[in-house]
Amino acid sequence: MANVVIMPKQGQSVESCIVTEFRKKVGDSVAVGDVLFSYETDKATFEEESKVEGTVLACFFADGDEIPVLTNVMVIGEPGESFEEFAPKSEETSAPAAEAAPKAEEKKADTPVAIAAGPVVEGAPVSPRARRLAEQKGIDTSRVAGSGPYGRIIERDIQAAAAARGPLSGKARAMMAEGGLEAPQAGSGLAGTVRGCDLKEAKPNHTSIAGEGVDFDVVKMTNMRKLIARSMYNSLQNSAQLTHHLSADARRLQALRKKAKKAFEEGRLEANVTINDLVCFAVVKALQKFPNANSHCLGDAMRIFKKVHLGLAVDTERGLMVPAVKNADEMDIVQLSNALKKVADECKKGGINPDLLSPEAASFTVSNLGNYGVEIFTPIINVPQSAILGVNTIVPRPKDTGNGVYEIVPFIGLSLTYDHRALDGGEATRFVKQIAIEIENLDIDF
Amino acid sequence: MPKSIYIDPKEIRKAGEIKLPTIPVMQYSKSVEDELREGNYTREDLLRIYRDMFTIREFETMLNLVKTTGGYNGVPYNNPGPAHLSAGQEAAAVGMAYTLTTDDYIFGSHRSHGEILAKGLRSIQILSDEELTKVMDEFWGGATLNVAKKGFKGGSTKDLGICFLLYGAIAEIFARETGFNKGLGGSMHTFFIPFGIFPNNAIVGGSGSISVGAALYKRVNRKPGIVVCNIGDGALARGPVMEGMTFASMDQFRTMWEGDMKGGLPILFNVMDNQYAMGGQTRGETMGYDFAARIGAGFRPDAMQAERVDGYDPLAVIDAFRRKKAALERKEGPCLLDVVTYRYSGHSPSDQGSYRTKEELEAWQAEDCIVAFGEKLKDAGLATQQELDSIQQQMRDTIFEMYKLAIDDTLSPRMDLVKNDELLGNMMFSNQSIDSLSNATPEVNHPMEENPRVKQIAGKERFYLDKDGKPVSKMKTFNIRDGIFESIVDRFYKDASLVAYGEENREWGGAFAVYRGLTEALPPHRLFNAPIAEAAIIGTAIGYAMCGGRVIPEIMYCDFLGCCGDEIFNQLPKWQAMSGNILRMPVVVRVSVGSKYGAQHSQDWTSLCTHIPGLKVVFPVTPYDAKGLMASALQGTDPVIFFESQRIYDKGEEFHEGGVPKEYYEIPIGEPDVKRVGKDVTFLTIGATLYRALKAADELKEKYGMEAEVIDARSMVPFNYEKVVESVKKTGRIIIAGDATARGSFLNDLAANITDLCFDYLDAAPVVLGSRNWITPCHELEESFFPQPSWFLDAINEKMVPLKDYIPSTNLTSAQQIIRAKRGV
Repeated sequence: MANVVIMPKQGQSVESCIVTEFRKKVGDSVAVGDVLFSYETDKATFEEESKVEGTVLACFFADGDEIPVLTNVMVIGEPGESFEEFAPKSEETSAPAAEAAPKAEEKKADTPVAIAAGPVVEGAPVSPRARRLAEQKGIDTSRVAGSGPYGRIIERDIQAAAAARGPLSGKARAMMAEGGLEAPQAGSGLAGTVRGCDLKEAKPNHTSIAGEGVDFDVVKMTNMRKLIARSMYNSLQNSAQLTHHLSADARRLQALRKKAKKAFEEGRLEANVTINDLVCFAVVKALQKFPNANSHCLGDAMRIFKKVHLGLAVDTERGLMVPAVKNADEMDIVQLSNALKKVADECKKGGINPDLLSPEAASFTVSNLGNYGVEIFTPIINVPQSAILGVNTIVPRPKDTGNGVYEIVPFIGLSLTYDHRALDGGEATRFVKQIAIEIENLDIDF
Repeated sequence: MPKSIYIDPKEIRKAGEIKLPTIPVMQYSKSVEDELREGNYTREDLLRIYRDMFTIREFETMLNLVKTTGGYNGVPYNNPGPAHLSAGQEAAAVGMAYTLTTDDYIFGSHRSHGEILAKGLRSIQILSDEELTKVMDEFWGGATLNVAKKGFKGGSTKDLGICFLLYGAIAEIFARETGFNKGLGGSMHTFFIPFGIFPNNAIVGGSGSISVGAALYKRVNRKPGIVVCNIGDGALARGPVMEGMTFASMDQFRTMWEGDMKGGLPILFNVMDNQYAMGGQTRGETMGYDFAARIGAGFRPDAMQAERVDGYDPLAVIDAFRRKKAALERKEGPCLLDVVTYRYSGHSPSDQGSYRTKEELEAWQAEDCIVAFGEKLKDAGLATQQELDSIQQQMRDTIFEMYKLAIDDTLSPRMDLVKNDELLGNMMFSNQSIDSLSNATPEVNHPMEENPRVKQIAGKERFYLDKDGKPVSKMKTFNIRDGIFESIVDRFYKDASLVAYGEENREWGGAFAVYRGLTEALPPHRLFNAPIAEAAIIGTAIGYAMCGGRVIPEIMYCDFLGCCGDEIFNQLPKWQAMSGNILRMPVVVRVSVGSKYGAQHSQDWTSLCTHIPGLKVVFPVTPYDAKGLMASALQGTDPVIFFESQRIYDKGEEFHEGGVPKEYYEIPIGEPDVKRVGKDVTFLTIGATLYRALKAADELKEKYGMEAEVIDARSMVPFNYEKVVESVKKTGRIIIAGDATARGSFLNDLAANITDLCFDYLDAAPVVLGSRNWITPCHELEESFFPQPSWFLDAINEKMVPLKDYIPSTNLTSAQQIIRAKRGV
């Protein structure tokens, strides 16, 4: 009996995965444990191992395809067994399976009126009906080629564009309406509904710059890159963010780090508590005093968290990732240090729970560039969060110690980017000042 | 062309001479004393004649002062409307009215204030107080009377009646809602049916044919009274007057009509011969008849018993009217009077009188009819100057009181079209549903089932396919002319007032045989041949309907609508609203749209009719629709222009499931019908173009996989857009097609409204496919002129969705569109 391999569902928020490579092709024999294909979610990579033994009878997708979770991907069984019945329905999938291709051609034959649309032309005329349909379907008409008289974009052109991807969820439609985004052929929602998270930044129309030029190469962005690009762009487009910079006396911080390091080396401490851990610990404390900063800004409402779920910006080879440490407010410094280390490692290695990568997972984010010597920067909020703290390098600076005496002391820079829709300048300032106070007065003993 | 009248070549070719009867000129010579002695008048009668003449003079003086000095007796008022005054003509008007009862109808012209007042005053005199009170109380629910009462200084019911008459007329002239026609008629159209005063007409000669229709109504429906058509000498040049006289003079009334129908129509053409046709002088300049009375000799062997009488002596006019009225009652009509009079004022107050001398005017004023009659009364010892002055003062006071009431914006408001801007719109049609407009039993020659045509139709298949789905032979198919026939014959057996006429309507059965069988069913007075006089055919129908009858005039070819342009465009659509909804206009004008007959017999002029507010316009093209729409048209009370296409009279029913029902049914006017359901493009057609659209739809589906939804407009006015909007929302594309030449056609009106109503749903602008803006060429070249099935595909390919590997047959490019427009073709 033939066995179906489906695209696993990796976490609640995962709607679809992209196959990076099929390791087994149709006809290959497989053993239990053989890797069938590798795939990636929003920010993590996985490998699907075969749970059965047999021959690959069918593979419904190709490398690079985005596949809704729980969709049939491969069929493994004995040669000769039927597999057609497992082929996913075309509307569920982005790329039709080989078997589905002739079907699509038949459909074309049914409507011989169809004339291939011409090239995408800037400022092409759009019929009122097409314009209206495009709005409904969330299709950017500037990316559609017209097949009507005089190159007019007419209803069928929009229908074709819409058919090239699944129906849109309400959120996705709203996002599409803003422009600049592209929907995949099939989304990750029910019956291929394209959800907001399926949207990608639109590719440029200009096919002329594709390929290689005299002095440049055109390289396609990785999916990861595209996702980051989209969310960063989305953040700046859709929030009112600005940054306040302030410094904290880092002498206690450095002293604590020194003690912790020693204690860890001596085996008295179960974690190698870093400066970043200590800053994060201070941030958690400050957040508990400023619940408005520990929040999501939803446009017309605020989601004020009772717990602190701390996001941490992690630089990986594949790009920036921001995993969340849930319930950081319940942790002591050791627990926090370990938790931060764990998610960072998982990100770097792959295999992080995708749910933790969602911007919705964290209530506040810390991005630390201090290690790299960055003295000041303006981090971008991981929307819908209301704020993000950038942690800078420690710089020695004169400090008035009283009576006109200045002493050179180390200061750590703090750059708080906040969404002015959520917080006003005064509160934001008091909040970042509170972080500094917490840093200067960390009450920990190692 | 009745077989009963033998055209004998021996008789026809016999030598001889035409002897014209003598036409009396100014033969009246009695004195007041003679008349008194003969008992023709009492003193009071004569004093009333004086009073009535003076009342008219003062009324016109009032209007003239308002126009020229901006007020009357020091009370200012601005009347921007027209005032065509009849000062000088009072004796002619009062003389005209004196012998008439309220059963006698008068029709007038743009200069008819005097006639209205004279007939009104006479009616007040002869009505009993009870009758008069009833009329006044019931008119506009007493609204007019209630205002008039405010200026009533006491006196008899008749005195109140005079207030009512003067107020109603002034208020109407000043466009007040309390006027006789809600202010919608105005100076040139004022009338008051309860006094037998029928519409005056601002079109010179307009009453010339309408009044004949009223006489026809009286004859056919056995109503008492005569009809007087008051027209000016200038109107004698007008075609409709000549046509009306021709119609009224038809031999068949005497030779063919049977029983009590036999005999001349009770119509008197009363020419108010005031010497001027606006600024043109009829005698000696613009006409050649010498005396207007002479024209009677051109119409009947008895010269219409024409007389030329002195319109400056009321008693001379009355004397003539007594004799003419008696002649009409003897069924010797039509009669003609040339009542010589003179107009003191210009055509209108803006007329400087550059065409006549002061001496001429003064010479007539020296013989002023009112002064002269007053002198006669004094000479006969019937009145003193003081008594005459007293009569004058009394009428002056009454007119002044009524004037003040009529210009009072509170008591005499105008229709409030600001507050309710649908008010007038609601008056354009009467929209009633009435089985019969007569209480009489319809006169027919045999039971309907014995009619040969009815029997023949009974054997026909009522769907175009038989039970086995095979096409039925033409002869056995119930077709469009059968559908029209069924509803018409049904109404003939229901409504005794219904008459039908036109060219070749009787024995021939109409040029296209729709009426075949009706000749057998109906006596001649219900279905007859009219002279080739379209203006009279429509004009008489208007008069017939105005009096309360139902009528089907026929225009043989659409192209002949021009021959009755005034009647179709200016009379038929206007009177329901212009009367303040007092009149109904149940006229169903059958118009056949030709083809194959070239430039003057193959034009679709439906659009001309849709352009004129007040007409309902239908164009059914299937037997089912033709029967149902004809039934609705005949059940209603509005003028309906019922277009038929000569291309498809023998078409069977291809759409209505189960074929055309045998029983009576109505299809509401104004509802388009989806003849074929589709999803990719909508075809909306007017008229026989439907069948070409269906062919186009077949080809479109066969070759290009597109499904056209085909909608038959069926009606143009009114038109319910809902079904079309629904369709366009579905398809996003629409072609609007008809056989009218495209420029200025109703097709464009539809396109504009659809664009407006469906803009966001349109995938392409609506495309109008009309005929080319040329003359209609000969039949062999018609395919280049009328929209063809291929044109639909061309339009789709060029304007909506390019079709694969399509080679267009016509040039529908935008560039060509501009070039053609530049060239005016």
